[in-house]
Amino acid sequence: MSWETTIGLEIHVQLSTKTKLFSGASTQFGSNPNTQVDYVDLGLPGVLPVPNREAFNKAIMFGLATNSTINSISFFDRKNYFYPDLPKGYQITQMNKPIVENGEIAIYVDNKEKIINITRAHLEEDAGKSVHDLFDGKTGVDLNRAGTPLLEIVSEPEISSPEEAVAYFKAIHQLVTYLDICDGNMSQGSMRCDVNVSIKKPEDTELGTRAELKNINSFRFIDRAIRHEVNRQIKLLEKGEKIVQETRLYDSDKNETRSMRSKEAANDYRYFPEPDLLPIVIDQNEINEIKNNMPELPKAKVSRYIDVFNLDEADAKIIATSKEMSKMFETAAAESMNPQLAARWLIGEVNALLNKDNVLLSESKLEINNFSALIIRINDETISGKIAKTVLEKIWETGDTVDSIIESEGLVQIKDSGLIEEICNKVVSDNPDQVAAYRAGKDKLFGFFVGQVMKESKGKANPKNVNEVLKKLLS
Amino acid sequence: MDKETVSTIAHLSRLSLENEKGDKLISDLEEILEFVDQLNDANTENVDPLSSPLEMTARLRNDDLNSKDRKSKFLSNAPDSNEDYFLVPRVVE
Repeated sequence: MSWETTIGLEIHVQLSTKTKLFSGASTQFGSNPNTQVDYVDLGLPGVLPVPNREAFNKAIMFGLATNSTINSISFFDRKNYFYPDLPKGYQITQMNKPIVENGEIAIYVDNKEKIINITRAHLEEDAGKSVHDLFDGKTGVDLNRAGTPLLEIVSEPEISSPEEAVAYFKAIHQLVTYLDICDGNMSQGSMRCDVNVSIKKPEDTELGTRAELKNINSFRFIDRAIRHEVNRQIKLLEKGEKIVQETRLYDSDKNETRSMRSKEAANDYRYFPEPDLLPIVIDQNEINEIKNNMPELPKAKVSRYIDVFNLDEADAKIIATSKEMSKMFETAAAESMNPQLAARWLIGEVNALLNKDNVLLSESKLEINNFSALIIRINDETISGKIAKTVLEKIWETGDTVDSIIESEGLVQIKDSGLIEEICNKVVSDNPDQVAAYRAGKDKLFGFFVGQVMKESKGKANPKNVNEVLKKLLS
Repeated sequence: MDKETVSTIAHLSRLSLENEKGDKLISDLEEILEFVDQLNDANTENVDPLSSPLEMTARLRNDDLNSKDRKSKFLSNAPDSNEDYFLVPRVVE
């Protein structure tokens, strides 16, 4: 039986403001517990929250970059629940009138574009952190994170595979780091996501019952958690059982999802308009000013790459979507004076390595200058393309510089025509039968000779020179 | 309004409820709901939802640091703490 998967993502992006959403306490990561807590974050009696303008500016930037509607009037609501790391007993969030609505973002799977619609992006405060395993029989609470501004970005359920979900998460990651509204540091929890997954038969018009997978914070886990959850749902439905709408936790150690909350404690957040805060009004002048101060967006970069560097649109899009990759491309293009070559290597080899390890360029060991050096060495024919691939793989593993790898591995391309002739002569005299056959008209054998020479030279002979010499010898 | 609803609300609000008070609460809450229900008689067509009764809008503040470390003061107010953390009964997921 075939099933269709429907996925929607809720991504929490920690905005990189200096201070919290409603207080002047620092949002710095990694400080000693409870040293960055203000009266407001503790919810002490008599305090009032005051919204941080910069958090709104950053949310608006995101809205502008995703062709969203920016609501000139937005307001906050109270979401009530009890948990020790939520001192007030409620979270201030935007339920009814978020700052950003109805946007879109492009994702790429197998170099094909798909548009994913964004339902909304709203501002809310983060909770503190509970530490369960440090203190005997007790839970420790650190409120440094309480009140840190989050932008929760909610997608439409238009994602139809784990690959697309990862691509969407990457696209959001790339955009928010592009805009510099989030540091993008996944291991510090700067971006976390909840995934809604359901399956249905192709002929069904309504979506199936969904399960929500909580708090996934790496690209690889998104992929694995969705695959696992889809299989679980298929098994249940094919046995004639039903899917329960519930929140499930993905356990990366066991690679399984399990139910988090019993039905008895079903969530009832009793939302109501936040009485401590007035409606927030943003006028068009403010929006225009933010627009004027935004960094060059991927879209503008794409047209520049097409015009200035003569790239294909598809290639330009792949490079421009990532801030890191476009920086790498622009540096290598300028230093090697060969933008086409730089683009080809990024889209081909570098992308393949990124996909293989499911990491971001910023997480890899490939540095901008080292990539530039690699392109320069290919361009000036110090190394062949084939060798360059080996070098790139070495860089990927070790982070060593191109020149040190070329030197220590003895990979410099042989352009010495005397040496090349010597090797070619040897190959020709070692293979008299093939030579005779070639001369008798079996042209295809030419590739055989080239291959033998490359083998003899351990891939270091310059193919152009080899071709010339062999042609002469075999004619 | 029934007993179960009342006990759910009590649970959500972390209020303990003495059993014999349940019936009295049911009738009290029903009266309150009935009273508030009058609002449904008002014609709200073409009226925007009201998010605040004050005809004012929020003032935003600049992203400036203006708070300091008050850890020891705050922790000393808590029923239980160590030198770094607030301590609460273990919360098991």
